[in-house]
Amino acid sequence: MSESEDSKWGIAHVYASFNNTIITITDQTGAETLAKSSGGTVVKQNRDEASPYAAMQMAEVVAEKAKAQNIEGVHVNVRGPGGNQQKSPGPGAQATIRALARAGLEIGRIEDVTPIPHDGTRGPKNAGF
Amino acid sequence: MSERSVSRQKQEKRWYTVLAPEQFDREELGETTADEAEKVLGRTIQTTLGDLKDDASENNTKLTFKINEVASDSAYTEFIKHELTRDYLRSLVRRGSSKVEAFITVLTTDDYRVQIQPVALTTKKADASQEKAIRRQMIDIVEETAEDRSFEQLVDSIVEGRLSSALYSECKDIYPLRRVEIQKTTMEARPEEVAAEEETSVDVEE
Repeated sequence: MSESEDSKWGIAHVYASFNNTIITITDQTGAETLAKSSGGTVVKQNRDEASPYAAMQMAEVVAEKAKAQNIEGVHVNVRGPGGNQQKSPGPGAQATIRALARAGLEIGRIEDVTPIPHDGTRGPKNAGF
Repeated sequence: MSERSVSRQKQEKRWYTVLAPEQFDREELGETTADEAEKVLGRTIQTTLGDLKDDASENNTKLTFKINEVASDSAYTEFIKHELTRDYLRSLVRRGSSKVEAFITVLTTDDYRVQIQPVALTTKKADASQEKAIRRQMIDIVEETAEDRSFEQLVDSIVEGRLSSALYSECKDIYPLRRVEIQKTTMEARPEEVAAEEETSVDVEE
């Protein structure tokens, strides 16, 4: 909290599916969680968990917690469900990054880390792409 | 009560500065926190080449380091992986051109086992025979370079792009190439592990 005397960078892992968004801020190795949040903590209705609005609320909370621990900026790893499901991140991803930036965290690299199979199992019957 | 104990836990944790191997000038990679020094061992940290060398044009290469030694407040790492970012690799792939990939496992002079994955992109669709020839050529060159190089030298030539430009100049006669890159390099085994494997391996010949 003391002004940037020993500020650090972290990684924000954003898992954005079509049913939920999960934000986790870790240290740079990804081994230690500093702050986390998911859709259920800010909205009542299950279907709203993936909404951009929920993502914004979560990002604000998470950014606050991270800043309290001297994190000045984050690299962002976004991912969708991947595997044989959607390869692209859901609606919460973009909102999260915007909200993190607005909350005063610096944004470093943004990368898509959706797990993509090199072959794998057959996809669900009506996979939405 | 529970809240207090959490904050106490946090205070007991110490921050360690993660440093790159000597090969990369012991550059600062980042920081990690832990309550016991032991827990820091084995963690991996990823940076881009651009970050290491202060050159934003090289941000398409990711390097992964693994912590293998911890001192009082710094952690030392070794190189374990080199990889192109996914968006960069995707941007290279075009319709109507071929992508030739190869997977090569080599042993360096100091007995590190390394897997190298070069990828060549042609200007137009190449025939299967041409693709094969390019792949053959790439494998030969990579094996040749690995033969008289130590692990450090090999990693150096990969990271600085010398290996990929050598591949490009050798393979462009077979078919016009747009780009040659090393898409991934993984350190598979250290000298001790290679030696241990050799000892336990059984001869299946005859």
